[in-house]
Amino acid sequence: MHRIVIACLASILLYATLFGLLLDRPLTLGLPRALLDSTIARGSAIEGPKLVILAGSNGPYSHRCQTIEPILELPCVNGGVAVGIGLDYLFARWQPLLRPGDVVYLPLEQAQYIRSRAATVVGPDAAIMARHDRATLANLPPERWLGALFAFDLRALVMSMIELALTAARFRDPRAEVTGSVNAWGDHVGHTPTLGSANAMILATARPEHLTAHAIEAGDGTRMVRAFLIWANANGVRVIGGLSTGFSDTPLPDATLTAIRTLYEGADTMFMRLPNNSRYPRSAFFDTPDHLHEVAQIEHSTAVARALGALLARSTGTDLAFMAPGSAPPR
Amino acid sequence: MLFHSQIFILGFLPLCLIGFFLAGRLAGRTMALCWLIAASLFFYGWWNPPFTLLLIGSIAGNYGLACLIRRLARASCFIPVDRSIDSSNDGSPNDGRSAATALISCAGTVFGPAAPNPAKPVRRGPHRPHLARICLGGAIAANLGLLAWFKYADFLLAIVAPDNATLSIFLPLAISFFTFQQIIYLTDCLRHPEQNPGFVPYAAFVAFFPHLIAGPLVAPRDIMPQFQAAGLATPDAGNLQAGMTLFLLGLGKKLVLADMFGAFADTGFNAAARGETLTFVEAWFATLAYALQIYFDFSGYSDMAIGLARMLNIRFPLNFDSPYQARDIADFWRRWHITLGLFLRDYVYIPLGGSRHGPTRHLGALAGTMLLGGLWHGAAWQFVLWGGLHGLFLAVHAAYAGPPLPRRLSHGLTLLAVILAWVPFRAADLPTTWSMARGLLGLNGVTLPQMIVAAVPSLGAIADPVPVLLFLGDARTLSFPEVSVCLLLGWIVVLTLPHIHLWHARTRTMGLTAGFALTMQALFFAPHVSPFLYFQF
Repeated sequence: MHRIVIACLASILLYATLFGLLLDRPLTLGLPRALLDSTIARGSAIEGPKLVILAGSNGPYSHRCQTIEPILELPCVNGGVAVGIGLDYLFARWQPLLRPGDVVYLPLEQAQYIRSRAATVVGPDAAIMARHDRATLANLPPERWLGALFAFDLRALVMSMIELALTAARFRDPRAEVTGSVNAWGDHVGHTPTLGSANAMILATARPEHLTAHAIEAGDGTRMVRAFLIWANANGVRVIGGLSTGFSDTPLPDATLTAIRTLYEGADTMFMRLPNNSRYPRSAFFDTPDHLHEVAQIEHSTAVARALGALLARSTGTDLAFMAPGSAPPR
Repeated sequence: MLFHSQIFILGFLPLCLIGFFLAGRLAGRTMALCWLIAASLFFYGWWNPPFTLLLIGSIAGNYGLACLIRRLARASCFIPVDRSIDSSNDGSPNDGRSAATALISCAGTVFGPAAPNPAKPVRRGPHRPHLARICLGGAIAANLGLLAWFKYADFLLAIVAPDNATLSIFLPLAISFFTFQQIIYLTDCLRHPEQNPGFVPYAAFVAFFPHLIAGPLVAPRDIMPQFQAAGLATPDAGNLQAGMTLFLLGLGKKLVLADMFGAFADTGFNAAARGETLTFVEAWFATLAYALQIYFDFSGYSDMAIGLARMLNIRFPLNFDSPYQARDIADFWRRWHITLGLFLRDYVYIPLGGSRHGPTRHLGALAGTMLLGGLWHGAAWQFVLWGGLHGLFLAVHAAYAGPPLPRRLSHGLTLLAVILAWVPFRAADLPTTWSMARGLLGLNGVTLPQMIVAAVPSLGAIADPVPVLLFLGDARTLSFPEVSVCLLLGWIVVLTLPHIHLWHARTRTMGLTAGFALTMQALFFAPHVSPFLYFQF
């Protein structure tokens, strides 16, 4: 029997060595890691109050800090990365950088509210932490340590070897050509309607479904947001909840909207929604219901900036420059 | 309860093993078997408790019928010496009292093998008893009738009265397997009427959880003596180690390999079922992935079953012998689901005439056997098509009279035939099968990721570049190389490596070292657990 035990222990050791020290996924996980690191660097470099947008990929694709910043006259960082990045990890990375007076806008995708704990602990951020960010991992609960250790399946092993080989061969990542790139604010740019036309079939056949109010209320992501709101209130950080973008032909049910709104307003934080609930025609999207193309992204960001400005003005009684007459939400 | 669930591995299995060996040590083999029966019924009832009654009823009913058949078979061959005990019994197969006494005598054999009656020395007769045969026929019909009701009633209703609402009959888990297992036993009773193991070993044999749900189908004459062996309930370090190793390797096959390939196959087949159009590469990748999924899934399950039985000092026969390495289609069926193949040979193919009644009857027996084998897997036309295709392949193979094909060509043709036949087997229905077939033939076009076409421009002559293949893996930029490498690895394993039962102890240990951590990752951290494919049959 000792032979089995030794084999099992050797297997765990081999696995931990491979994934913790040797293997990596520079293409698949390298991009979100680089995006996260660059936005964190920008956020830490800003002196004074700032606006931070935290979300999944809806953050960088559908919002543009480059547009929002001059309207609000507030330094802005687009800290959204991808829907698979755990909210607890995202919050853990940003909390040390948030100061009293900072504003955090959360246009979270619905999937982020209900993402299961089991999926979160082995998500892409677990792999990133195991290999590159053990400092943040150390501050997360022990279940995240185990999850980070066992975040790698056989596909991860295969992908690691493929990506390392491609990187060694100076592989030119084609994604910039087909999806655009990221600017200094953390915004995704260059995802033009012309590039997006290649995804017309995907968008035409996409059938997004809204979550029920109960699912949102009971979600593990909701629990993490609630904990973050408590922390923000205690530390003088103003949080504004919001809505992610979506197709106008699949309107948001009232109950779902109420559940999201209640999450924020129930915690003494603000909630902002545009008159169209961030719903746009399918022609305004790039490749998924969470990703506007950049023309719509700029229009949506303008509307968001004005609405955020109005909300902040009401909450502080300040007359802000961006509240110019004639401002209108995007079509 | 699934073999690859946490509750089974961390809860049921240790308790079952401890209880079994403890009962054996404290109260003897029979009590250990009683514990095993109770554990097996609990294992079965975990899925749907009320159906445990069906299993218990089936076991009890079939045991009664087995006693009856055995008694009738013996009675017709016996010449009682002491006629004063049963003066009216003249050994006639038509003696109604012999049937009644057979049933009554079963009560005396509940807790062990029937002791030979010294007052009734017997002489073997030259012929099989007619009444026992009738009784066996009735018993088999009753078993098949029960199976048909649960499994085929809706299917038949849809054929004869397509406008009627379905009966929506719930198919009890494992009914196909425990029905066939008991049919084998009943038939053995006629062939070997002198062997009566007693009710407890019989119930333990049928309900034995390692093979209850999805086999392997085992011959009672091979297994029953093991349940009656004196050392059955004594822990054996060698068996425990070998069994645990096989179990863990099988677990890895299921969780690490089968479920990974299953995700690739599901993407393609589910898209086809939704009415999406799969192009050439998407259809082939899904089909190749399914061929690997079903092999790793079912052979992994079989390895786990063999390993579990081994831990309990029971040796099961091999169920998979590297089937994708078969040199021809007949060889494939000697290697794939071996125990079902043997069952179909002994209980369908040979009764249908086998190869001894001329070529026409032979081909008919092959086709009929495989059609029934297909229908056994499920009451749906795509299973009939799968069985029909294999019947056709076997018939062509049997009828071929030319020179032997080169080994590689023969192997390649066999593999292609087997892989293509998996399409209807996996497809949700016949329209999905045709849709997949169109994709496999390239009738929906050939597309490749533009990244690949850019890297190998000559591919542009045969394939249209697209940003991503929508129905391949996760439909991401790197999904094509990811799925390609995974499929390549999987096919290298099944085409070149011997099966794990041929591995030396050191090789098994190396296999465990390579796969244990990935297996634990899948067991405790995979987002979802897929049931065994064969549980649906």
